[in-house]
Amino acid sequence: MTRSPLVLLGRIWLALILVFLYAPILVMAAMSFNASPFYQLPFEFSTTWYAKMAGNQQIITAAIRSVLIACATTVVATVLGTAASVALFRYDFPGKRILQVLLFPPIAIPWLITGTAMLVFFFAVGIGRGTPAVLIGHVALALPYVIVTVSARLSSFDVTLEEAARSMGADAWTVLRRVTLPWIAPGVVAGALFAFAVSFDQFVVSYFLSEPGDSTLPVLIYTAIRKGFTPEINAISTIIVTVSMAVMFLATRYSKFGGSR
Amino acid sequence: MADLETPAERRRLFTLLSPAYLWLTVAVFLPLSAMLFFSFLTDMPQDAPDWGVTLGNYAEFLTNPTYATLLRKSLTLAFTVTGFCILIGYPCALVLAKSIKGRSREALFLMVILPFWSNSLVRIFSWAIVLRGNGVLERAVNWLLPFDVRLNLMFTTDAVVIGLVHSYLPYVILTSYLALQAVDDDLIDAARSMGASKLTILRRILLPLSLPGLLAGAVLVFVPVVGSFMEPRILGGRMGTYYGTVIEDQFVAVYNWPLGAALSFILLAVVIAILAAASPVLKRAQT
Amino acid sequence: MKSAFLLSLSAAALAASGALADEIRVLNWQGYGTDIDWAVKAFEEATGHTVVHEYFNSEQEMLTKMRTNPGAYDVVLVNAIYNPQATAEGLLSPIDPAGLENFVGIPAEFAGSAMLNEGGALHGVPWTWGVTSFAVNTQAFDTVPDTLEVLWDPAHEGRVSVRDDAVEAMQIGALATGQDINDIRDLEAVRAKLEALLPQLRTFWGSENDWNQFMAAGEFDVSTYWSGSAARSAAMGLPVEFVVPKEGAIGWLDSLAVPASSEHKEAALQFIDWMIDPEFYVGWDAEGAPASANGEAAAALDESAFNRRVLGDPEVAARVQFQAPIDDGTRREYLEIWQALKAVQ
Repeated sequence: MTRSPLVLLGRIWLALILVFLYAPILVMAAMSFNASPFYQLPFEFSTTWYAKMAGNQQIITAAIRSVLIACATTVVATVLGTAASVALFRYDFPGKRILQVLLFPPIAIPWLITGTAMLVFFFAVGIGRGTPAVLIGHVALALPYVIVTVSARLSSFDVTLEEAARSMGADAWTVLRRVTLPWIAPGVVAGALFAFAVSFDQFVVSYFLSEPGDSTLPVLIYTAIRKGFTPEINAISTIIVTVSMAVMFLATRYSKFGGSR
Repeated sequence: MADLETPAERRRLFTLLSPAYLWLTVAVFLPLSAMLFFSFLTDMPQDAPDWGVTLGNYAEFLTNPTYATLLRKSLTLAFTVTGFCILIGYPCALVLAKSIKGRSREALFLMVILPFWSNSLVRIFSWAIVLRGNGVLERAVNWLLPFDVRLNLMFTTDAVVIGLVHSYLPYVILTSYLALQAVDDDLIDAARSMGASKLTILRRILLPLSLPGLLAGAVLVFVPVVGSFMEPRILGGRMGTYYGTVIEDQFVAVYNWPLGAALSFILLAVVIAILAAASPVLKRAQT
Repeated sequence: MKSAFLLSLSAAALAASGALADEIRVLNWQGYGTDIDWAVKAFEEATGHTVVHEYFNSEQEMLTKMRTNPGAYDVVLVNAIYNPQATAEGLLSPIDPAGLENFVGIPAEFAGSAMLNEGGALHGVPWTWGVTSFAVNTQAFDTVPDTLEVLWDPAHEGRVSVRDDAVEAMQIGALATGQDINDIRDLEAVRAKLEALLPQLRTFWGSENDWNQFMAAGEFDVSTYWSGSAARSAAMGLPVEFVVPKEGAIGWLDSLAVPASSEHKEAALQFIDWMIDPEFYVGWDAEGAPASANGEAAAALDESAFNRRVLGDPEVAARVQFQAPIDDGTRREYLEIWQALKAVQ
């Protein structure tokens, strides 16, 4: 498209949306540098909360645990979810509709109920609690998001591309690796980003299924709310968002996942 | 679409599909089936030896008007939030997919989702700081405008909508983007060379071709918002009671899992019914 | 600052040759006494045991966690009104008070509480108690009010808050209508009273965190609150004053219990003994604490301390109605009334 008033308008719109999306994040970051423990305005600069956070072993351990669990969840959920999306897209089989509808219960039913159900069921069948149980739960809750996102991308996939590749002698796995996957890469990346967000914010499952002392950051935050959490939470959240932003921008330098063209 | 005539194809289907669904079965479907079973009980078996099977928990939904009132309120909220997400998010995706090229597109793509790598509770409280009386928003507006403005957004339904639209907007933006970006630019150029206006291109090419993506995003917004309770409670003040709240109460305030489970499955059934009712209409719109 | 008590504990630990260092797992609200750094550290140093915490967000979740995780916890905070139920379900182990050095300081009205002595044996050590009433923003009042009616005062319309909790709301309504909080006869009067309260509200609060933030932002003139939390908020610099009005207030008692499935009962009791120690309590009170159930601990406070000055005042204590257990049916009835009121807002 040529540069036109419409394009300009579009960019302004995009900029406004980014301001909207980042408004609470900026406030969160600003409050981590605000002296008031009750998030009071006017703003008064202070780095106390960072100092306090640095000395708070519990918060740091929990943050690291959360990141590790979210990374593991992202990898597993993305791989399994992408595979399932490809299968749902490529094949027609009896019961396919049902499998697609079955993705909704984990999204629709409030996590508190799903979490309680997991706790009772895992206890009954002997999976018990601990990190494996937490991972099982997180991956399951992230999977529907990955499948829906990757399927959204696949829906516009041109099957003739695969057929052309096959007619030139490529076997099914080669087709998948060389034709299908590159095409759906943006969908996979988006799915992975969502999976990370779901796991990183997941409170109920970790809360019910982790061993005492093995707290994750959301559990710490939600259980602290009764007494009141301090801007230390903002400090650690700000660090996490900043670091992930840096990592992500490095990633954009070396890969193209937004879709070719 | 491949058929399943050869055993090799069947095996491939099974290999691709079964890990995800086995995982979901163990971690979600079986536990939720247990909950479904509980929803038909009078009492939890472990603490009442005289428990029995009943439809009473579902009947409760019909006899107590509170639940239906709140479900309607939650559905209205979900439609509103989904509507705003589409109106705001789709144009945004359009710009991202069709007007921005190269590295900056990759960066923007990430920037849309990165705010959500923070804790939702921290984000909601940040919204409270923005929206409350004499908060960040009012101060900013009053700094820009010469006259005194009182927005009074905090503890209103508007605040709940703002908070929820914020939380779910990325789903619509990214899924729409994924579909829009897949639309061949040659197709658009061809249409333009034949004299199609921008609006026609949007209406006849971009919108139909990206509809699956837009719908996927809309579903990812609509479905969880119906059952939400955290954002409404903190931002909505005394207006903040929704259907999700009464489900939560059955687990947190009183020990009534059967009723809480029944209310959840009614929610699920209503959501699926709405999606099912919408799908033929949308299919027609697509062709 | 090692106390005589802790020294005696460590001596006992040394004497019991080869005494095992246990890991005690405590299930409690976060930030509620048992997890104070210096106190845990002092205990760990004296006994060699380590203390690990897990937290719950509601009493129902506390029960769920105990039911589904046998053996996972050694010390659990159980509100006295849940004690009979937990004991009846076989979740709690009986406690021999003779094993607790500091138990003597606990007055009979707490130690002998029927709620804690279900089946004739002690199943929870009275630890803390407090009052649910209201606190005012002192900047919004010239004189601190002495009546619950201030919540309904049109002068404060849109500047009032109550906790979003059905039982608490109903009991506040009972106090305002002159009824027994544990035996609300005229439910309709309470319902009507609460219905009149809702338009007064700015918002509901759910946790101390909301309360502090909203109070700090100047959203509230007056709001229901807990005595211990008010002490903590005031200690952190908020302009609040807690009021026990002439209509009375809701009293509650928290106990520390040992789950029947605990594998470290000995160490658990040592920890509980430290938790009811006056020295621990004086340190905790300085940071904002509920009232101690141990009379000796309360007496050890400075005379100006809220927990001694106000809650120690017999006249105030006489106005407090202690909560009794509530059966599931009543709880659900209250919830239905409360939900119906909120749903039409």
